[in-house]
Amino acid sequence: MDFTFLCSGKPEPNGRKVAIIGAGPSGLSATGYLACAGYKVEVYDKLPKPGGLMVFGIPGHRISPENIARGAEKLEKEFGVEFKLRTKICGSEPMHEETGDDMAYTYKSLGGRVEDNDAVLICTGTWKSRRMEVPGHELPGVYSGLEFLFPVRAASYEIANMDVPEIKGKKVVVIGAGFTAVDVVHAALTEGASRVSLVYRRSREEAPCGSMEFNMLEKQGAVCMEHSAPLEIVGTDRVEGVRFAPCVMSEPDEAGKCRLTVQKEESFVMEADIVVTAVGEMGTPPFAHDLGLDNVRKGDVKWLQMTSLDSVFVAGDVLMGPSKIGKAVYSGLKAAKSLDEWLTLKDQGRLDEFQDEVIRREDLR
Amino acid sequence: MQTLYLDYSKCIGCGTCESVCKFVHTHPRIIMTRTPDGWWVPLYCQHCQNPKCMKACTNKAIYRDPDTGAVLLKQELCAECPTKNCLMACPYVAMICTGARKAPITKCNLCLDRGGLGPACAPMCPCDALMLVDHEDLDKVKTPEAQKAYELVRQHIICPECPTS
Ligand SMILES: Cc1cc2nc3c(=O)[nH]c(=O)nc-3n(C[C@H](O)[C@H](O)[C@H](O)COP(=O)(O)OP(=O)(O)OC[C@H]3O[C@@H](n4cnc5c(N)ncnc54)[C@H](O)[C@@H]3O)c2cc1C
Ligand code: SF4
Repeated sequence: MDFTFLCSGKPEPNGRKVAIIGAGPSGLSATGYLACAGYKVEVYDKLPKPGGLMVFGIPGHRISPENIARGAEKLEKEFGVEFKLRTKICGSEPMHEETGDDMAYTYKSLGGRVEDNDAVLICTGTWKSRRMEVPGHELPGVYSGLEFLFPVRAASYEIANMDVPEIKGKKVVVIGAGFTAVDVVHAALTEGASRVSLVYRRSREEAPCGSMEFNMLEKQGAVCMEHSAPLEIVGTDRVEGVRFAPCVMSEPDEAGKCRLTVQKEESFVMEADIVVTAVGEMGTPPFAHDLGLDNVRKGDVKWLQMTSLDSVFVAGDVLMGPSKIGKAVYSGLKAAKSLDEWLTLKDQGRLDEFQDEVIRREDLR
Repeated sequence: MQTLYLDYSKCIGCGTCESVCKFVHTHPRIIMTRTPDGWWVPLYCQHCQNPKCMKACTNKAIYRDPDTGAVLLKQELCAECPTKNCLMACPYVAMICTGARKAPITKCNLCLDRGGLGPACAPMCPCDALMLVDHEDLDKVKTPEAQKAYELVRQHIICPECPTS
């Protein structure tokens, strides 16, 4: 991935300095834009390699890690971008455990980055997993999608003090039907699980990942079960199974709406050694409360993609919620452009002229 | 005689090409489409040797760039006709109606307006699936897997009966 696709070589420095927090697709695209505009760019990431979920989430057979590494190397060698890896940027809130935190050696404050730079762009993605709210979800052996996948992907870097799930010979039950669920099933099969089941509340035709993925997983040896909802995760010291109940679609009511009803009386337990609830991740901005991200989403801010902290911008999944690489790239590029325009007008003392300019709806997409 | 080539067997449907195109050109010309069974694929202009859009346009607004061989649209000549013959003619769904009031029709120009930087989408593809190639070299880059995946895309989305050249 060549993030400097907007220029043919390193331009004259423009004297400005920015810090990018998070080296996923959104952060790296913004880095490319700003490096092409003559900025001195510093990129912080808590992980040992740039790439974000492209390297530590998505399986290597879909995106080759070398392809991403080459792009980051070009930024570093040809454009003088400084990568500060294994460095986690923290806000004022108590440290929360996010996936991948164990790999950071250094901790730095967001405030410090703001003081040292003309602007800061936060591209930290969605690294805090949402757990499914069913009884038993806190039992050992229950993972979220990223909690399960990350150690599998990161194991080639180091496994000390990491909770790598033992998968070989185990019965794995995966709940969900998004792309993360598909990758979890795939990883479990590759790592030698004895049985892998994918369970979804609706039919495969309604699955976010599409019916084709279901069919392909079945060919690879997974068991796909549709129309089943989890009621509880059972087990005493650790997970032993999941209680599911059939889910049926009712006949349309007067308004023409069909309802999904769970038939609790017909519930059954499916045995499991590992349960993965791949039901989505959440955003993890450092300094969450002060950034006012809801206002950024609504466009209720002074400047496009600027948070309520002056000169601090935001882009990617941390702003939009889990999406796709393309969306993250677009968001990163747009934020970088907005940041550049803001600094330029600020230097010219002309910000006031544009302060009242309305942010259009389409700008937010 | 250059064209963009997409190896559908490598593509993961991430939409980066469309996003980058949109960032550079405002209205994207490489467009993500979803098959009924949930497969996301980009559709794009193949800068055909024998372009159907060119034949369909009675105003001669579509022409071939003599230097690069790219099939281009001359905005001034486009009459914005209500029948949009070029849209209907293209077997790859690559003529785009943006819905904009001014200049509603657009198409891929291989980023010839980027001052020699080449197509913006190709270098940003995380899977190295998109490339700028010479028509003569197409056979060299087409692997059997790529060809198989392409046939699937055609069956799903691009009118399979329509001849392509
Ligand atoms: C299993 C899985 C499979 C997926 N498959 C696909 C797919 O096939 N196609 C597709 O298009 N999308 C896929 N996605 C989604 C895609 O990966 C994301 O939408 C995209 O990576 C988001 O980019 P981002 O830059 O916003 O964030 P991320 O890629 O998450 O990058 C954020 C970076 O910030 C770093 N970071 C976070 N907090 C801090 C901090 N406090 N200090 C320092 N660094 C920090 C993280 O280490 C990370 O490197 C998948 C996601 C998952 C989880
Ligand atoms: S950027 Fe590459 S992998 Fe992503 S959709 Fe486009 S062609 Fe496919």
